[in-house]
Amino acid sequence: MADATNPRPAGAVGIPGAPGVTLGPVGIASAWNVQGAGAAALAPALFGTRLPTEANTLSSGPVTALWLGPASWLLVTGAAPLHSFEARRDTLNDAGGALFDVSASRVAFVLHGPRAQEVLAAGCPLDFDPRVFGPGCCAQSVYDRVNALYANVGGAPAAIVVMVARSFGRDVWHGLCTAASEFGYDVGPARPWPGMLVR
Amino acid sequence: MTVPRKPAPAQPFRLPHGGAIDRSQPLRFRFDGCDHDGFAGDTLASALLANGVHLVGRSFKYHRPRGIVAAGAEEPNALVQLDTGARTEPNVRATTIELYDGLVAASQNRWPSLRLDAGALASAVSRLLPAGFYYKTFMWPASPRGWRFYEHWIRRAAGLGVGASASDPGRYAHRHAHCDVLVVGAGPAGLAAARAAAASGARVIVCDEEREPGGRLRGVAGASVDGTSAPAWLAAVGRELAAHPQVTMLARTTAFGYYDHNLVGLVERCPGAASEHLRERVWHVRARRVVLATGAHERPIAYAGNDLPGTLLAGAARAYVERFAVRPGRRAVVFTNNDTAHAAALVLHAAGVEIAAIVDVRPDTALVGHWPGQARAARLPILAGSVVEQARGRLHVRGVDVASRDSGARCAITCDLVCVSGGWNPAVHLHSQARGTLRYDDALATFVPAAAAQAVASAGAANGCDGLAAALAEGHAAGLAAAAALDLVAVTPPPAPAATVATTGPLEACWSIPARSRGAPSFVDWQNDVTTADVALAVREGYTSVEHLKRYTTLGMGTDQGKTANVVGLALLAQLLNRPVQSIGTTTFRPPYTPVTLGAVAGHEAGPFLEPTRRSALHDWHAAHGARFVTAGLWLRPHSYPRPGETPDDAANREARNVRTNAGIVDVSTLGKIELQGRDVATLLDRVYVNRFDNLAVGRCRYGLMLRDDGIVQDDGTVSRIAPTHYLVTTTTVNAVRVMQQLEYLIQVEWPELDVYATSVTEQWCAAALSGPKSRAILARIVDIDVASAAVPFLAITRCTVNTPAGAVPARLLRVSYSGELAFELHVPADQGPAMWEAVLAAGEDLGIMAYGTEAMSTLRIEKGHIVVGAEADGRTTADDLGMGKLVNAGKWCIGKPLLSREALVAPDRWQLVGLTADEPAVPIPRGAKLVADPDRAAPNPMLGHVTSWCWSPNLDAWIALALLDNGRARHGTTLWAVSPLADARVRVRVGPPAFVDPDGERLRG
Repeated sequence: MADATNPRPAGAVGIPGAPGVTLGPVGIASAWNVQGAGAAALAPALFGTRLPTEANTLSSGPVTALWLGPASWLLVTGAAPLHSFEARRDTLNDAGGALFDVSASRVAFVLHGPRAQEVLAAGCPLDFDPRVFGPGCCAQSVYDRVNALYANVGGAPAAIVVMVARSFGRDVWHGLCTAASEFGYDVGPARPWPGMLVR
Repeated sequence: MTVPRKPAPAQPFRLPHGGAIDRSQPLRFRFDGCDHDGFAGDTLASALLANGVHLVGRSFKYHRPRGIVAAGAEEPNALVQLDTGARTEPNVRATTIELYDGLVAASQNRWPSLRLDAGALASAVSRLLPAGFYYKTFMWPASPRGWRFYEHWIRRAAGLGVGASASDPGRYAHRHAHCDVLVVGAGPAGLAAARAAAASGARVIVCDEEREPGGRLRGVAGASVDGTSAPAWLAAVGRELAAHPQVTMLARTTAFGYYDHNLVGLVERCPGAASEHLRERVWHVRARRVVLATGAHERPIAYAGNDLPGTLLAGAARAYVERFAVRPGRRAVVFTNNDTAHAAALVLHAAGVEIAAIVDVRPDTALVGHWPGQARAARLPILAGSVVEQARGRLHVRGVDVASRDSGARCAITCDLVCVSGGWNPAVHLHSQARGTLRYDDALATFVPAAAAQAVASAGAANGCDGLAAALAEGHAAGLAAAAALDLVAVTPPPAPAATVATTGPLEACWSIPARSRGAPSFVDWQNDVTTADVALAVREGYTSVEHLKRYTTLGMGTDQGKTANVVGLALLAQLLNRPVQSIGTTTFRPPYTPVTLGAVAGHEAGPFLEPTRRSALHDWHAAHGARFVTAGLWLRPHSYPRPGETPDDAANREARNVRTNAGIVDVSTLGKIELQGRDVATLLDRVYVNRFDNLAVGRCRYGLMLRDDGIVQDDGTVSRIAPTHYLVTTTTVNAVRVMQQLEYLIQVEWPELDVYATSVTEQWCAAALSGPKSRAILARIVDIDVASAAVPFLAITRCTVNTPAGAVPARLLRVSYSGELAFELHVPADQGPAMWEAVLAAGEDLGIMAYGTEAMSTLRIEKGHIVVGAEADGRTTADDLGMGKLVNAGKWCIGKPLLSREALVAPDRWQLVGLTADEPAVPIPRGAKLVADPDRAAPNPMLGHVTSWCWSPNLDAWIALALLDNGRARHGTTLWAVSPLADARVRVRVGPPAFVDPDGERLRG
């Protein structure tokens, strides 16, 4: 995980004083893309989670389900990998749906701290105000010019996870650190995908 | 180390008291090599004036001496070269440069010096250099060479500043922001609007280009708001807004562009001199409502010699006294057509500037407003019904000639300062950029906002409103209205700030005073040296549209975009055409409002971050093993792995040879990979590819060719059937995104009835191709399955496990070959790519395995005659041209097929893929060569084809190439010439089939 993103060693960077933001890599054990109109009904039995039908929201549990599109979701786990891919794929294929294993496709970073919103605003046009992008919200946009998937996983102030394609990981990490250096930042240790911190 | 400060030289024009400057912070700066002192809070312009420096530049065309005219962003003249070396910035307005200690600036467009400028000869012959002179004059001799000669000298003479040639060490950034109400301008109207909107619960951003809020009210000690002095009210409101959790105050921030969907671009200048410092930040503000409180720009009146240094706009002269405690002169003549200049005269008078005369074009009976009354009461000499006909002086104004409009009586008045006011133009730039319309207001004699085209309203002077009390009331109302439009209403709305209303008399439109004799020109546009005579000439020559007038005379061009000049120029045009100004209209307002540096536009996306870079999961291994990288789209790929003493080409040749003798491994992770699932995938594939896929068995893979709608080859790749309803499609690296987009489009739009789902898995899989006669032996050592040909035949796909020191890695194994050798592809989850890669290399070490890069990969595929999309499939070739006509299945429809039978696509003289071998093997086939029958034939020499790919073949010991050749398949065995007029090279080549190595494919099936 760290190999693709190459985060700098932990420690405060930038201006002296308390860090404005803490950045760190997030470990993804499994990331499965579920598609198809038939998937929502099967999901609780197949994955133990509900697939959110409201756009740009996520549902939490042992498996986090992020809404990607009208009939497309990303299931994510941090610590324990998901099993029985092929059996579940076949079940979904039979029911008019699909399951793709994209566990290694994305790398993720988490930002939290008083200036996290501003660091994100340096590269992303979304409004991260908690009244607009509160806990449980997710959205697809860009960071700098790289496609990115954002999720507010809660906490106070809220922690925001940024997921980008693995090949862009190092550039996005650099972009986040550059933006964060204005406020001073800490690099936190790698930690598994957190699910929802507060619900 | 601090250098002991020399005693501050006198600032002879600095007033002893007042001004919004910090006298406890003296600052030293250098202008044109001379040291001067100023104070924190000064601009470069105010500090220069405090030191009596008026002459700051030479004009663009005539090299006339020019001084400071304005006190803000509208300044047309005082453009300077700020800073030196890598941080230098040309054409910066001295009126907006905040003074800092150690500032270095220089005047522009002069040689050898500002006072003695050789270019000023142009002024002496200015009558010979009217608008458009070079269109007329430099047309002989009628050759491009002639123009190139003149252009060099014209550009040199009409230069502005000099751009930096070294890389800027400063940093730049971008920031996105969202708000309910964006208030542009923090003058009285803007502050009132921001306060009202914030009190209603709106998220507010307020930006102002100055370092502190207040606008024209700053330093105006005489005014009061809500019963307190204006400076105290400004300070209190500024503090209140800065502390408000819902309000973001942005100082030193110019709103430069208004775009669709209420997106407003701001540029924030960040103070500080450290070289690594953040210099500027561009804000992309998406506002639900916008209040434009951008104020107004004073306009001049044109008269002969109105450009002499010592000529200021009256409001600017007042601002220098009140805001900066600077006297812009000793003895002033004020020339006006409205009341505001009378107020300015009173301020100058109170500061000890002798008012020689207030020359007012209006008759005495029109001087009924508050300020003319005050001027009379102060016994300032008022010459009503009079005009300034001409100013005299060489490097500074020494006096003016004043004439009575009724009697024609003239008198000369000595002065060193002329303060001009022709009225005020609302700063409608952003309103107009937002595509709002304008209305000509006869009372104000200028354009004011009419209908808004986005969620925006103008308030205060920007809306043509007159006076402090009205501006406060209008701003307050605009703030409440903006919030109310978003259903945000205060429980108890705050009261509007109040100020005393001063009566004003009517303004009398006055644009230009006709010259009495052939004296100095009278300027409309100072920055572009456009005179009233130029406007008249343009009209005589038929340029009667405002847009033509602008382009012919350059009126309103340049860095100031005519902020002081445009309305005067338009009104003169209207007069000359005898039409109302409203019918003339304005030129189009486009962003930016003021110049924006390229650094700010780029933000941090510069140098290695100019565009995002994609790195394979194996990138660090490549880098650690000496890879020389090349870009492929956004990807960085290893070109080759040169060893000490090897050139990259040597290395590629070694690597390519080794693949054919031992084995090599290449990173092919960048290939596009798309997975498809569903009951109807085969149907979709049959429609997308020229060949059949409905009969592809599970565990098999097949080469596929994809056409565009017009029948031309679009992309190629492989299709593998992983499970009955699960397929893997590969695409070329460059077309990965395009093919994915097309498949999604087809599934969602064209054929939604198909049960097919797609996702890109390019990033999921790290892929390595293991090629060469020893590849199977190497593979057998590390995978858990039988890889003999019977178990894994050519074009099979299977699952396996790769044993690595880090543990077992699950993999997909494909038996495909691009090199033409026995080859396998291993696809493993990207995070486990390095473990797989190193395990393969370790397993093959004793068998001579080497990593190879894209250059060797290219050599191997050229030797084998495999096409590349982009080189051979160049957007003009059909499957048949590439020798793959038989792939097109006759029994089914596919995209592009209906148009394959077009006449042009079946013509007998189409260019077809062939192989070329250099007749003398050691002579390189020139890059991009054309194929001709006779290289000595005089031009035009018929071109029979061209080389698409070429390389030295280390396996054939010859230069070889692939080419597209007219009727190429019929020319096998013939010889032609590959010529490159650019490289002045020619080589005899033998034409043959495109496959040079193992044409029957025995190796890859072995």
